[in-house]
Amino acid sequence: MVTNKIPVRAARRISFMSNKRRLFSGIFVFYAFQLITVGDVLAIPAFSRAHKVECTTCHTIAPELNEYGEAFLKNSYVYVGKAKSAGEKAPAAPLAARIPSTGSSRGPAVKVMGEGDADQLMKLKAGALVSDAGDQASTKADTESAFAVDNPDNLKPEGLVLAGIPEIVPISFTGAINYAFGDERNINNGNEFDYSARVFKLLAAGNFREKVGFFVTYSAYSEQPPGGTYNTSVIPSNNKTDINEMFLQLRNFLDTPLNFKIGRMQPKLGLWKSSNKLSVTNNYLPYSYTVGQESVFKVDQPQDVIELNSVFARRLFFAGGVVNRKGQNTKEGYGHVSCKIGGADYLGDEADIDLSKDESILDFLAVTIGSYAYFGENGPSVSATPRNSYERYGIDAELQYKIFKLRILGGWGSDSNVNPTQTAATPKVISKAGTLEGEFALRANLMTAARFDYLQELSGYDTLFTNRHVRRYVWIVAYAPLQNVKLSTEFKYEIAQDVINRIGTVGATFSF
Amino acid sequence: MKKVVLLPLLIVLSIYSIAEARVKVTGHGAKMNFSDESIPEIHKPAFDLLQVKCIKCHTLERTVIAVQTGIAPITGQPFNKQGVKAYGIKMLRKPNSEMNKKEIRDIVVLLNFLLDENTK
Repeated sequence: MVTNKIPVRAARRISFMSNKRRLFSGIFVFYAFQLITVGDVLAIPAFSRAHKVECTTCHTIAPELNEYGEAFLKNSYVYVGKAKSAGEKAPAAPLAARIPSTGSSRGPAVKVMGEGDADQLMKLKAGALVSDAGDQASTKADTESAFAVDNPDNLKPEGLVLAGIPEIVPISFTGAINYAFGDERNINNGNEFDYSARVFKLLAAGNFREKVGFFVTYSAYSEQPPGGTYNTSVIPSNNKTDINEMFLQLRNFLDTPLNFKIGRMQPKLGLWKSSNKLSVTNNYLPYSYTVGQESVFKVDQPQDVIELNSVFARRLFFAGGVVNRKGQNTKEGYGHVSCKIGGADYLGDEADIDLSKDESILDFLAVTIGSYAYFGENGPSVSATPRNSYERYGIDAELQYKIFKLRILGGWGSDSNVNPTQTAATPKVISKAGTLEGEFALRANLMTAARFDYLQELSGYDTLFTNRHVRRYVWIVAYAPLQNVKLSTEFKYEIAQDVINRIGTVGATFSF
Repeated sequence: MKKVVLLPLLIVLSIYSIAEARVKVTGHGAKMNFSDESIPEIHKPAFDLLQVKCIKCHTLERTVIAVQTGIAPITGQPFNKQGVKAYGIKMLRKPNSEMNKKEIRDIVVLLNFLLDENTK
């Protein structure tokens, strides 16, 4: 039986929406697709394969990190239990290097046929795993001790050890599927319930001989909604393939406590990378807002960077970097400092607790505080047009007590000229953003969070810049039936200018 | 003749005594566990606690291997008395571990006992 419901609904919709509402809806949809990013699915099962550990070693519900995951990340993806400081003795050489070339108490001599120097070969293999400081101070005893195999994991093929290549190819795959529902006037051109294969990414990360960490994320597919007028049988195509992050971190560079990080990455500004949260579709507003119609800068945007960072006194972390922009000579710069009080330190070691005393709040309380500053400039490429000079400052804090976690984010920004291509210079825009999020771990694999986001962008001149106020309330429930599968439901109630948006998302994320 | 008999006997006895001092283990793989016989009565309540609380997120295989080898199999860190306490604190602070300080303390005492037994 054919119903006349759809035609009536369509007619009502057309008559209901004024031009003004169409404009705001279009603006909202534009920002909505910006906020539903493809950078939020970063669980890396390659680490599980490499270190033979479960996901919950580093994650609460992936990709959100726990303390050890944070320490692992800061340690250039070297397992925190095997952290190597400058001068510390290296793990043993592989089995192939064990037998000395000359007879000794460790066994008979290896008979080497043809030309070559077996002694030199053994030293080369031992040197493949010994620090530079160890090499300089090496003695016969050091060399012999380097031959000892006390961990079967060191029995790697010789070629891979010498080449520094991980034995297991460190690639993981992550996919996300979403079902979104909400106000049909403001989302997906009236598609009330939208099903989508949202994103599929490849991730590669690890370290080379515990000296260099590497990290690459490649977006193989992200949904591109059809544009304009189209037949509704069209399946959405791929937006584009792209590198999201690709960097190396030279660990303990030149045997100093500094790590030297180069490539494309999210600069170390806020306490958390954009993926390090429970929500899949709603980023923290202080990290993800843009100002104006032209500037696309946001705090969590991957940039081409040279960064130095370091853990200091186990509980302080510093980072500073220089950012390059294509099409302009001016470089940008930033700095970050954070401190952790209580809980495991930045090297993954627990604070000592007296087990003989009664429990106190301090046994379970961990507080992390961080702040950052970013100075930049953008505008049309290769142009003398007055540019937009901008600044971002932020303070973040996290408080964790047993199953409860509280995150507080505060950001302040200043943009001198948000529309550089306009002939009339736009006035200065001051932006303020904040987030308050509380999270409960109801069970190890069931978590819920509630968040309030706020954004305000103000200029003195409404005719040149439309002031913006956004208030967002987000509620999230995430469940991991398996550690590499996450089911989540989120609801966002957003008040933005004259529009109220109510968007619900049910999603599944999987990694392998 | 006496030397021919006594020497092998001494060797057998020394091996046997070492084997007796090592902590006995039952099962393989994920079912690996400490044997009841290795646990004296005074530590039995802590051992019962271990069976219930310490298998919530992982099997006892890694605990057994850590005690027997003196190295934590996952992190590679030394599993000595300092390491036992550090792991105890780590488990205490783990959200949803559902363990309190007293339970952790009892299990740490038990694991320290097992470490001592294993080195005899």
